[in-house]
Order: sequence, then C-alpha cells, then structure tokens
Amino acid sequence: MQDETILEITDLNICFEMREGTVNAVNGVNFSVKPGEVLGIVGESGSGKSLSARSIMNLLPRNATVTNGSVKFRKSDGEVVDILAEKRESRKMRELRGGHVGMIFQEPMTALSPVHSIGKQIMTTLSLHTDLSKKAQVERAADLLAMVQMPKPMEMLKKYPHQLSGGMRQRAMIAMALSCNPSLLLADEPTTALDVTTEAQILDLIMSLQDELNMAVIFITHNFGVVAEIADRVSVMYLGNAVETAAVDDIFYNPKHPYTRALLQSIPRLDGQKRRRLQTIEGMVPDPFNLPTGCVFHTRCAEKMAGKCTSQIPELTYFENDQMARCHLHQA
Amino acid sequence: MTNIHVPDDALISVEKLQMHFPIKKGFLGREQGAVKAVDDVSFYIRKGETLGIVGESGSGKSTTARALLRAYEPTGGKIRFKDPDGVWHDLTHKSEAEMRKLRQHMQMIFQDPYASLNPRMTLLQLVSEPLVNIGVTNKSELEDRVADLLSKVGLRPENMSRYPHAFSGGQRQRIGIARALALNPTFIAADESVSALDVSIAAQTINLLQDLQEQMGLTYLFITHDLSMVEHISDRIGVMYAGRLVEVADTASFFEQPLHPYSEALLAAIPIPDPKRARAKKRGLVKGEVADPANLPVGCAFASRCPHASELCHMSNPELTETAGGRFVRCHHSADLKLQGANYDQ
Ligand SMILES: Nc1ncnc2c1ncn2[C@@H]1O[C@H](COP(=O)(O)OP(=O)(O)OP(=O)(O)O)[C@@H](O)[C@H]1O
Ligand SMILES: Nc1ncnc2c1ncn2[C@@H]1O[C@H](COP(=O)(O)OP(=O)(O)OP(=O)(O)O)[C@@H](O)[C@H]1O
Ligand code: SF4
Ligand code: SF4
Ligand SMILES: [Mg+2]
Ligand SMILES: [Mg+2]
Repeated sequence: MQDETILEITDLNICFEMREGTVNAVNGVNFSVKPGEVLGIVGESGSGKSLSARSIMNLLPRNATVTNGSVKFRKSDGEVVDILAEKRESRKMRELRGGHVGMIFQEPMTALSPVHSIGKQIMTTLSLHTDLSKKAQVERAADLLAMVQMPKPMEMLKKYPHQLSGGMRQRAMIAMALSCNPSLLLADEPTTALDVTTEAQILDLIMSLQDELNMAVIFITHNFGVVAEIADRVSVMYLGNAVETAAVDDIFYNPKHPYTRALLQSIPRLDGQKRRRLQTIEGMVPDPFNLPTGCVFHTRCAEKMAGKCTSQIPELTYFENDQMARCHLHQA
Repeated sequence: MTNIHVPDDALISVEKLQMHFPIKKGFLGREQGAVKAVDDVSFYIRKGETLGIVGESGSGKSTTARALLRAYEPTGGKIRFKDPDGVWHDLTHKSEAEMRKLRQHMQMIFQDPYASLNPRMTLLQLVSEPLVNIGVTNKSELEDRVADLLSKVGLRPENMSRYPHAFSGGQRQRIGIARALALNPTFIAADESVSALDVSIAAQTINLLQDLQEQMGLTYLFITHDLSMVEHISDRIGVMYAGRLVEVADTASFFEQPLHPYSEALLAAIPIPDPKRARAKKRGLVKGEVADPANLPVGCAFASRCPHASELCHMSNPELTETAGGRFVRCHHSADLKLQGANYDQ
C-alpha cells in the first residue's frame, strides 16, 4: 500500500450465486483515496458502487462472495488493516466502523434505530469508541447536532427518527457518522432523496467538516452537478468495473473512456429549450448472467473496434495527472 | 381563496385538497393534533399535459399524488377526474368498488423499482397482474398482452419468465412502467421515478415516457427534485412548501422569473454540472429551519426563512391567487418583488 493513501482497493471481485447462475457484480475494481481527498463515484445503476463501499465496512450482503482482491485501510496511528481478511464482527472491525470510518446511507431509516432517541444512538456510538463520561457524551452529542445545524440540539437529543423530516434525519445520521472524528467518510447517495436547498446545506456541511478534520470522503451519486461541486477525483463505474478514474476537471473536460463521454452527454441541461430529446447510450445494459467478452462496454460503444474490443479485455492505460482508463483506444 | 378556473380540456381538477394525519399519543391513542401533510392544494392538469411538482422534502408531494389516486382517504377537498368517455367523476365520494373501475385509467409509478416489485413473481406475473385483477384469465391472451407491453417499454418479451432480481434498476423501472400501462390508463403519476437511476438510463426512461405520451395522449403528474429534468419534461410546474402549493406557472416563465421567494431559493440551489462554473458560483443556501407540518405558524410558512418577510407575513397566511399573467402564487408581496430566475447551462 502506498504511503500517502488512506484506503486502497485492489482488484476487488464480488459475485452472487443465484438460481439462474452467477452474477459477477464487481469485476476487478481498483481505487485509492488520500487523506483529505473527496473521491466521487458515478456510473451505471447496478454497476457495483454500493457493494464496493460496503466492502470497506466489511458489510457485504451475506450471500455475496469475494472471489479476489483486497481492501486496505490505514489507521491514523499508521497501522494498515487488511479489511477483507478480518471477520465481519471482529474486534478490529467494530473499532474501525464508526471509530475510523463513518458511513451515511441513502435511506437514513435503515441506519437509524426507530426505537431509540437520536441522542441515545449517538451516545451508544460514543461509548463504543471513546471513554467519555456519561455527562461528556451528552455534551458531545449535543455539540455534534449543533455542528450539523440542527435547531435546539438539547431538545433534538430526545427525538425519535420518525419525528424528524427527511433532511433532519439525514443530518442526524451525518452527526452519528462523524461522532468519532472518522478519517474516512463513506457517503452513499446521501442527498438523492432531498430537495436542492437541503442538499446544498448538507454538501456545504460535509465540505466544511472535511476541510476542518482533513477527512477523506467517498461520495457515491448519480448527480453530475453534485460531483462537480464536491469531488477532487472521480471514478466512473460500468458493469462492475471502474472504467475511468481522474481529477474532476479531467473527467468533465478531457474524458478518455467512451462510457464517461456518453454519460456526460446524457445529463439533462438547464437550457430553456423545449422538448429536445435527451441523448442516451445505444442499446441495453447487458444481462448480468451473460457478461460481454472483451471490453464490457463493447455492446454499446460508439467507438468499438471489431475484433479487439469484442475479444480482449483492455488493460488500464495511465495518462498525465493520475488519469486512468480501461479502453483499447488508448493502447499502443 | 379565489376559485381556480378549470379549463374545458382538463383531465383532473383538485380543489382545496387536504390530507391531515392524526398524531396519536399515549396508551389510549388519543389524538393530539395533526400532521398537516397537505393543506389547501388546488390545481388542474390538462389532457395530454405534464405537470411537474417540485418542493421541499416533506412538503406533501407524494401525499398529494397518493390522495389523487385515493391510496389515502383525503380529509378534505375535492378531486375530480374525467373518464375516457368525457364524464367527470368526483373521486372523493366514490366507494372502493367504484374506485377500482376508475383506477384502470389512473396509475402510479413509484420511486423505488427494487421495493415495488414482488421478488417472487416472474415478469409475466408482475405485468399481467393488473389484467388478471380485472378478470382476464386466458393464458395466451395474457402472454400476448405482456409481450406487447414489454416491447413497448423496450424489454425483451422472451425474458418474461425471469424474476426481477435478474434485471438492473433501469430495467426494473421499465417493468414498473409496463405494469402501469397494462390497463391503458389516461393518467400516470410518476413519483421520483427516475431519481435512483444513472443519467443515461434516466434519459432513456424520460424519452420513453415522452414517446408514450405522444402515442397515447397520456397525462402526467411528474414529481422530482431534479429541476433540470422538470424543466425538460413539464409543460407547467407546481412548487410545494409545507403542505401547500406556493406557485404554479408555465415552465418557461417559471425558470425565467419565479414569483415566490421559495421558488427563487430553489432555482439558486440547482447544482451545476460543470466544475469550473460550480467553483465560481456557490449554490444559494437558505438559512433557517424547515417548517414543521405538525406545528405550522399562523402566517406564511416560509416567513422565518424569507428575506422579504414583513410583519404582515408573520401574522397572516397568504392565499394562492391568480396573477394578471395567468400564473398562481401564494405570497403577500410577490407583486412588488423582482426575483432571480435560473442560471442556464451553456
Ligand atoms: N444481495 C444481493 N443478491 C444478489 N445480487 C445482488 C445483491 N446485492 C447486489 N446485487 C447485484 O450486484 C450488482 C451491484 O449492486 P450495487 O448495489 O453495488 O449497485 P450500485 O452501483 O450501487 O447501483 P445503484 O446506482 O442502483 O445504487 C447489481 O446488479 C445487483 O443486482
Ligand atoms: N402516513 C403518514 N402518517 C403520518 N405522517 C405522514 C404520513 N405520510 C406522510 N406523512 C408526513 O407528511 C409530510 C409530507 O410527506 P410526503 O411524503 O408527502 O412529502 P414529500 O413532499 O413527498 O417529501 P420527499 O421529497 O422527501 O419525498 C411529512 O411531514 C411526512 O412526515
Ligand atoms: S475498449 Fe473498445 S469497446 Fe471498450 S470502450 Fe474502448 S473502444 Fe469502446
Ligand atoms: S408571504 Fe411574505 S414571508 Fe411568505 S414568501 Fe411572501 S414575502 Fe416571504
Ligand atoms: Mg447503490
Ligand atoms: Mg415523496
């Protein structure tokens, strides 16, 4: 693992055995994150974004099998943890989850317990990872709620999730994810269900905390506006592969992979023009039980080269500024 | 309020719709007030038109759609629907049996294609279920209809014996659309039906909905948080805040110049899909707390966050009123405000 990285995923492969056959959901994903860096992950629905994030928490679905690869995390004391070599409920994993790595899920109700107050839930996390006294825990919990701009934090501690609006639940979950000053925050579509004004507030909050605590963030989203706003680097996923990774400006202004280019053209633009058809990518996403041979994108690629693209899996090509893409166009 | 004039070509009209959920407390479940999820909402949708609905999370958009289809029993107001024979029905006074007939014409597409499809049913069973429910039992007729519906939404008919987990999110969304189309509805409410999809599959789905609208003259209520999408698909736009409609306008005028301060705040917060422009212009932030529908203020619900609030705003709740230009707005001062429109992408 390289010195300056906090997280490194190498050649991750995850599959599911189903009645109809094997679903290869993640097929050799590689990426790394530096301290204080925001990595945005975008890409096709069902391409393995959430599974990749869950592997970092060692919280994959029970029927998932990791067939290859590793996920390594560097703690602030320098120790490197080989996450997939740990048992799901090992002491080390419990220490990492919530203590070093915080996670915000798309649907806050799945992460918050409906039967405990917000305050109780934050304090449980604190008692697991710190040795604060009861009184100090209450104070810290109230501080956290104030930090995520919840009104009347002391009263909020007593509220139950169902008494809060969607935006407030999302903020409560962020407060919980941040309670132990994690060095890495995983945010899986945290604002997709929110209106744009609430979204702007939450992104603002994540960015100011990220700055203050030098926290690294992995941010999964379908929204290119959000990516443009918060990401330093971006990984683009298609059918279980990270097909391109680059600095955010290179992804938008100098994309190398045909899938990245096609995605960018599908964004609905706010342009005051009426009823133009939206651009789409030709064809359908392949059947997950029958992945294409060669390049996974060849069934839909406008720049496909017969022969090469349909039979050979492209290697990663490296460009300036740490840009990399998996496409034959760029191979000598 | 001034009654909204419903045009002759309307398919749906909603008058003073109200949906209050009781708050129950204690062992006896005694009622302690109500969540005013929808309060005094009035609008119409013309035949073949798309009305987009945007607004604050928790402002009552989904509740409005559900009440329209009578998935909820509204606590007040009137919903009228014109059937394909041109006969108006007052849905608020229909029995469940009468509603079942009318629901053939009114369908809903849900946000979550994963949760809304039963994983133990095949595609054939899922898409034919609405037909079976109205008494179609002939197996080959069902298969023909399903095959036809699947090809209409761009799915392969030969896959009809598969289960939903074998399909991607976008394909599952199409299964939901095929199901909604099974009974040839005239009206579809789409609640966040593309927000969980990647931009390319979302674009395919939107194009499909627009093609179907052209072919079959469908009428849509389209709920979303994505303002660029709503600009693309809607003829008119309604904005909700704290259970009420605060503005209704045709799409172009709305983005050009909104009339309600909350609409202005929404437009200022649209994320810009261009990193250089995003860095140059920070998204607008609205200060202050969201209104609590269980505890609404007496005055305008936006007053605590509105830069234009006056004493009047805190004391009295404005009505939805029609402007000279045929737009609707709920604000005491909108006539005197010159609000900012959207920043268009290049
Ligand atoms: N528990 C499971 N059993 C079987 N297949 C699964 C399971 N969980 C995920 N998959 C499959 O793995 C693939 C990747 O799923 P994942 O949730 O990571 O996608 P994603 O990129 O997050 O998509 P989205 O943008 O829709 O959230 C999908 O095709 C999905 O069908
Ligand atoms: N069955 C219910 N019982 C009690 N309260 C409810 C119920 N359904 C919705 N509410 C409340 O009514 C209000 C409006 O909810 P609704 O789901 O309609 O909002 P929305 O505009 O669709 O929000 P979002 O954009 O987050 O989907 C919220 O405060 C919600 O908590
Ligand atoms: S390898 Fe070939 S098919 Fe794949 S993206 Fe590149 S050009 Fe297209
Ligand atoms: S009524 Fe007053 S507080 Fe409400 S939106 Fe208009 S100006 Fe603002
Ligand atoms: Mg996901
Ligand atoms: Mg909703």
